[in-house]
Order: sequence, then C-alpha cells, then structure tokens
Amino acid sequence: MHTQDSTEAGDKQVVLSVRGIRKRIKGKWIIEDVNFEVREGEIFGFLGPNGAGKTTTIRMLVDLIKPTAGEIILCGHNVQREPEQALRYVGSIVENPEVYPYLTGWENLEHFARMMPDVGQDRIREVVAIVGMDKRIHDKVKTYSLGMRQRLGIAQALLGRPRLLILDEPTNGLDPKGIKELREFVRMLADQGMSLFISSHLLSEIQLMCDRVAILSHGKVLAVGDVDELVGGAEPYVVWQLDDPEKGKGCLAGVPGLQFAEAGIRLPDESQLAALPGAIVTTLPAEQVPVAVRLLVEAGIGVLAVQKMMPTLEELFLNMTEGEGIA
Amino acid sequence: MLNLLPLIQNETLKVWKKKRFYVIVLILVVLIPIFTYAQMKMAQSSEDKDWRSKLLQQITDYQNALSSDRIPEEWKTQRRVMVQQLQYYLDHDVNPNSPNAVTFTRGFLDNSITLFIPLMVLAIASDLVSGERTTGTIKMLLTRPVRRWKVLLSKAVTLTLYVSLIIVTTAVLSYLLSGIFFGYHGWNQPVFTGFQVQGSAVDSSQVHAVPQWLYILMQSGLIWFSAMTVALLALMVSVLVRSTAASIVTMMAAIIAGTILANMASSWHSAKYLFAVNLELTNYLKGTPPPIEGMTLPFSLLILAAWSAVSLIVSFVVFTKQDMMN
Amino acid sequence: MSSRKVWLAVGLVSLVSTLLLLAGFGYAVRDLLAPGASTPFRTAEPEPETSPVPAEGYRIVALGDSLTKGTGDATGEGYVKQAAALIEEASGEQVEIINNLAIGGMRADQLAERLQADKSFARALTQANLILLSIGGNDLFQFARTETGSGAAAIEPELAAKRLEEGLGRLSDVVERIREVNPDAKLVYIGLYNPFYDIPELRGGSLAVQDWNREAYRILNEQGNAILVPTSDLFEETIAFHLSSDHFHPNHAGYGKIAERLVQSLVP
Repeated sequence: MHTQDSTEAGDKQVVLSVRGIRKRIKGKWIIEDVNFEVREGEIFGFLGPNGAGKTTTIRMLVDLIKPTAGEIILCGHNVQREPEQALRYVGSIVENPEVYPYLTGWENLEHFARMMPDVGQDRIREVVAIVGMDKRIHDKVKTYSLGMRQRLGIAQALLGRPRLLILDEPTNGLDPKGIKELREFVRMLADQGMSLFISSHLLSEIQLMCDRVAILSHGKVLAVGDVDELVGGAEPYVVWQLDDPEKGKGCLAGVPGLQFAEAGIRLPDESQLAALPGAIVTTLPAEQVPVAVRLLVEAGIGVLAVQKMMPTLEELFLNMTEGEGIA
Repeated sequence: MLNLLPLIQNETLKVWKKKRFYVIVLILVVLIPIFTYAQMKMAQSSEDKDWRSKLLQQITDYQNALSSDRIPEEWKTQRRVMVQQLQYYLDHDVNPNSPNAVTFTRGFLDNSITLFIPLMVLAIASDLVSGERTTGTIKMLLTRPVRRWKVLLSKAVTLTLYVSLIIVTTAVLSYLLSGIFFGYHGWNQPVFTGFQVQGSAVDSSQVHAVPQWLYILMQSGLIWFSAMTVALLALMVSVLVRSTAASIVTMMAAIIAGTILANMASSWHSAKYLFAVNLELTNYLKGTPPPIEGMTLPFSLLILAAWSAVSLIVSFVVFTKQDMMN
Repeated sequence: MSSRKVWLAVGLVSLVSTLLLLAGFGYAVRDLLAPGASTPFRTAEPEPETSPVPAEGYRIVALGDSLTKGTGDATGEGYVKQAAALIEEASGEQVEIINNLAIGGMRADQLAERLQADKSFARALTQANLILLSIGGNDLFQFARTETGSGAAAIEPELAAKRLEEGLGRLSDVVERIREVNPDAKLVYIGLYNPFYDIPELRGGSLAVQDWNREAYRILNEQGNAILVPTSDLFEETIAFHLSSDHFHPNHAGYGKIAERLVQSLVP
C-alpha cells in the first residue's frame, strides 16, 4: 500500500530518488524493495523500529554498502556508478558522528574539506559559526562532550554545501534542550532550501520535525506520504491518574466518546506507562477532556494528572496493515 | 576530479598526529644506546689487543670449529664463508669492525632488517585501514566524493613515505647516538662486497671495496625493499581484518615464523618461496650464504615483488568492493 | 597553520628519504648483479706497522696442532694458558698471549705452507718474544688415529722410517720459516710422546718418537735460541693419569705437567 505523493509538492525538484533497492547479506534479504523520493527543501522522515533496515538503507545512500539490486540517484547522479559526482551533494552522519579524536575540531574539518572540491578555510569558518563552536574548535576532539562531537559532526556534514543532509537518529543521546535546538536548526536549514533526510524510531520525533515520511518495517517501505496524513490520523491516548482509580473508572465510563484501552491489545509505550502506576488509559476526543474532568471533580474524585500519549510505532503499523494480513 | 595530493596530506597528518612516529623514535632512542653500550663493553674487554690479532684469533677459532666432526654441514659452510671473508679483510689490512659510529650504524641496520624494522613498519601499516574501521571514521572517509581506490592509494603512498622515514631515521639516530661513544668518523672506511657464495666456497674474484657510506646507502636501499614488502602485506591484512591488534599479531606471526624457518629449513626447499625467508636482502651484500640453497638476489627480489603485487591487488579489489557494515 | 608546516616538513623529508633509498636500492642491485660496472674504490693505504714491541714481559704466540690448541682439556686451558699463568707467577713479569693460532689436525707441511702464504700469520709472529710450537704428531701418528689397534702400519718399519724422514723435513721448514719471520723470539718446541705406550703392539712407536725428538732437537739446535721441552716420559708409566678419554690428547693434568716443564726450562 503506497500513499501517492501529494501533488502540491510535485513541482519541486527531486534531490534523492531511491528505486527498488534490495540488499541480501549472507543469503538473507535485509532490504526488500525500498522506493521513495526526497524533494528540494523538505524534511523527510525515515521511520522504522530498530532492526527494520534504516541504517543499512542509509549506508546504501552514501555508498558504504552496494545494493544487490535497484538504483539510488542523487541530484541526477547514480551513487554507485558516479560516487564522485553524486556524493558531492550529500552531507551525512551515519550512526554516531565519528571524528578523529587525536585531531582538533578544526583539523578534522580541514581533513574532510581536503576531500571535497572548493571547500576552503572560509567555508570551514562559516560552518564553525553555524554550529556555534568558535570557542572550542582548536581543542583536541577527545576533550569534547558528546553534544560537541555531534555539533562537529553536523559541521563536517555541512562543509560541502550539501543539497541533501542525511542524519541517522540525530536525537540519540541528546537532552530535551538539545533536541529542541536540533529541531529548530533542522527547520532553519530546510528554510534555506536544503533537503533533510532524518531517520528515527520515534514517531513523536518524526511528527514534530518532518514534512513527509517513509515508514519502514522488515526491510520494506509500508507507506510514503505527508506526516499529517500518515501519522496525524492516529488518535492519541489520554492517560489518567486519579486518587481513587476504581471509583474514577466508573465515573469515566459515563463520558461520551470515551473508550478504555485494553491491556495487551492497544496500549501506548509500555515503558512510559510503567512509570505511572494505576494509570487509566483511554481514547477520547480532545474536546471531551474538559467534560470528563468536570465529571470527575463533581464526583469528588481528585485528578492527579491528565496527559496525552502518542501511540507506538508498532500500533501505527497495525493500523496501517489492518485487514491486509501482514504479520 | 580530486587531486591525490590533499589525500596524501590527510593520511600523513593523521599518522603524525596519532603519534605513531614519536613512539618509533622513542623506541630507537631507548634501544640504540643500549646496543651501543653493549658494543662498547665488548670493545673494551679486549681493548688492549691489536685488531689484527683479534681477527686472526677469530679466524683460527672458526677453523678449529670447522675441523670438528660434530658440527652440522650448514654451519660449516657459513663458518667457512666467514673465515674466507675475514681472511680477505686481514689480507687487505682493513678492520671490518673498527669501532666508530658509521660501523655501528652498518651493524645495527644489518641486524634490524629481519625483525626490528618490520616491527616498526607494522606499527604504522597495520593501523592504516583497520584503525579507521575500529573507530568508525572509515564511514566519514568513504562518504566523501572520492573514489575508494584513491583513498587506498593515498594510504599506500603515505605508507611508502613513512617506511622511508623509518629507515632513514633509524640510520641517522644510530649514527648520532653511537657517535657520542665511538666518534663520528668512519665514512670512508672501506667495506668489501661482492663475495659470491657457491655451495660451500666463496668466489672472491668479484670482490671490491666500497666506502662505508656507500655501503650503508646500498644496505638501506635493500632494507627499504624488504620493508616495503612487509608494509604492503600489512596493508592487505589491515584491509581484511577489522581490528588493529589482530592485524599486527597476524603479521608478526608470519614474520617470526619466517625468521625461524630461515634458520632451520635449509633442507625444505620450497620454503624459499615464502616472503619472510627472503627478507634478509643485505645478506647478498655481505656475502653470507642464503638460508636455502639456490636463493639469489634476483630470486629474492622477484619473490618479494610477487608478494607485494599480490597484496596490492587483493587490497584494492577488496577495499573497493567491500560493504562497510560497521 | 602548524599542521601545514608538519605536512611540508614530513612530506619533504620522507620524499627525499624515499628517493635516496631508491637510489641506494638501484645502486645495490647493480653492484651485486654487475660488479664490474661499479666504480672501483681504492682501499686506504695500509697503516704503517704500529705496536712497537715492548722489551719487558712475555708476549706469547702459540702455533701448531691440537696439542697447542688444548684439545682434551675439559677446562679449555691447555698447556699454553697454564704455562702463561705459571710464567707470570714465577717471573713476576707480565705475560700476554697475543694469539693461539693452533688448529686441530694440522700437519707440519700445512703449517709451513700457512707461514709462507698467510701474511697475517707471519705478522702475528713478529709481535712475539716467545713462540710456543707443537707440530709433527699428526705427521707421525695420522695412520694410528684411523687404524688404532690394528698396528699393522705402525710396525711396518720401512714405512715408519719414511714418514719420520718426511715429517722431519717439514719440521725443518717450519722452524726455518719462523726464524725468518722472527729471529729474536725464543722458540719453544713441545716434544712428541707416544700416546699408545700402554698398547703393547704399539709400544714400539716410542722408539720412533725418540728418533723424532732427537732429530727435532738437532734442528732447533742448529737454528739457535730454541729449546725442546721433553714430554714422552710423562706418558709412559703415568699415561693413564695424563691422557684424556680420546686416548690421544693429554687431559688437564697432562697439560699441566707439560706447562710445568716448560716453565722450569724458561724461568730461572
């Protein structure tokens, strides 16, 4: 099931085109038939659980792995056949930003700059300013914190003035503040006309950051389309914490449009729930939440907390493949 | 199209900043004085004696060993050859071991060709590719708009440069450090070369004297050739094996096995096709009999060149085709 | 930028090194494969004879066969080292063994030849003021070593006489040559003994030994400044105590006795 590319974006130039790539490693198909396109100036999400083949796909995009079949076209150049032309338009961080720890930040950037045409000292100074590393850039990388290494990683990815920036799980290891900054930074780059390709296993992240998304599961793209269309449709859960859960449950049952989520069938992220003992998980349209709160208060039940929780990726897949019998 | 030079610059700087070369220099600075001291002690123990008497005594001792029935034939051949060479020096009134910095350098280089120089070469070569894979920086390196063969070629060129640097540094340091004790003279002292070993006899019809500086230059050139073979093999292993430690151990095992074989496998003739048995090219210059009969300079050069060529081909084919999974 | 300087320095130095080593390699290969092509290099002028011979003390050069080498002595000292120690003790003067040039199995003709051809041998002799010599045993007994016990050849009187005559001729050559090289040094010749004295069939060999020693004495006497140290009596009644397990060479004690004799005749 493929959602057709939305027509309003159709006039923009295609920066990355992935056509029917497959990859077999040791007799096992890791990637089966992946297709998608990334257009100019858009933030493209690549969503899939761990082990779905995201990193393998990304490695193929940047010529670290050769696909068994299919082709990858970057700005009109085939990555496998003309890497020298194709890779000129890409900046990437695959998994962690690994830089040389025994060199300074500046020496690292110089090192990568020498491997690209027309990147001089001025451009290095520019990217250092963009990621805001002016103060520490002449220190040895081994003295950097993880956050600083990540900035340096982004700096090196930006060196060649790429038209496409590939970030693999960029929020890994970042604190909430860092994630927010990253989000803003990504948006800024996109506004300047750069395309971004961002992989993640977290639905919420993709929802907050991306314009369009491809959803990957077991080496196959399940759907490609606008984030709002694909992901926005999923109803969020409303999780209640009450001082008297038993009585509250009875009270909530009377709220129109409210449904209890049954354990084992549909539940939000279990790890998040585990931190909230006794919480009641429901689905409820947003406009009905004040109604439910009023009812509870009137019944004399204390409301400790009410929060919205996103459904998990697995559940999204379930929705998406519902009735198609894909296990 | 990107020029190769910036890539070589990158690789050279990385090796330098990784302080691999410092370690090598440090090892040399520690080891050379130790050997110098040992040599000095040896020289002192019989200082009062005339070198001619010492040499004559040495020849006599070897001749006595030759007359013993209990000594294996290979040993005898070696001794016989040495007797003839020493006799040649004595006849021409040239002291083959006169204690000076240049002679020390010649001896040090001679002894370092089989293990010491290869070991130092491995310190750099074994890390070149596998080091980048261990740290993951290979991803950064190979996602640039540069073809993989160019990346590997720049590494191979850098390796060549460092191999040369190691050999020259070894020679220069051993000259400078030993000179403190022995004095810095001896450049023009004659050294005889051109002894042709045929079976158990030495043909000295081609023997001629060269000044010691020229001898060291020739010696270093031959050492360079065998060190390059080691370097290219190590590069191949470094491409094939992901961890630097495994890569060094593999190469060390091969080299040590080779030196052991060279000492004991004179009757196993096909061992002469192994690279490690052929590393000691300076033996041809010195005129010591080869470890296995039938080995000659062109033969050894050919074997080493063949091993080098195969390593290069394997390295390039694998490196350009390989999937970088991690 | 400092890394730029590093690159320039390392790059240039290593490039020059590579070119230098390549040149050295090329030269070495050419020199080894086509030695004639290389430019000849003149050896330095031989140094003038140095090491003035000091007048004081004993400077020993020993030459000859396995007896001088010390074969059979488990300590490796032989009579030369033992004698040197005893001389030092008896005379109180400094004793230096410059060279022990003895080679096991050497015959008198080989030694004469060596003295003639090998300049370094002669050179060593000039440094000495005391020359210890043992030679002739192999000329006389070579047969016996290979056919010990058979005795056939030993008893053949004509053959023995012929061998004796031949050997003495060679001894004469050796002594003459030594005197030519160094007329001033005292020459000490170790007399022969019969190592088969305890084998009844070979006891007759002692007569040949006596003949040899007598003739040897005559030769030494003619040359002058030479003495003969008799040893044959040491290996008769007490042969079992003085011979090593090879039944040919003396053992440590046997050599010690020879050394004692030597010192007795040299040092007052």
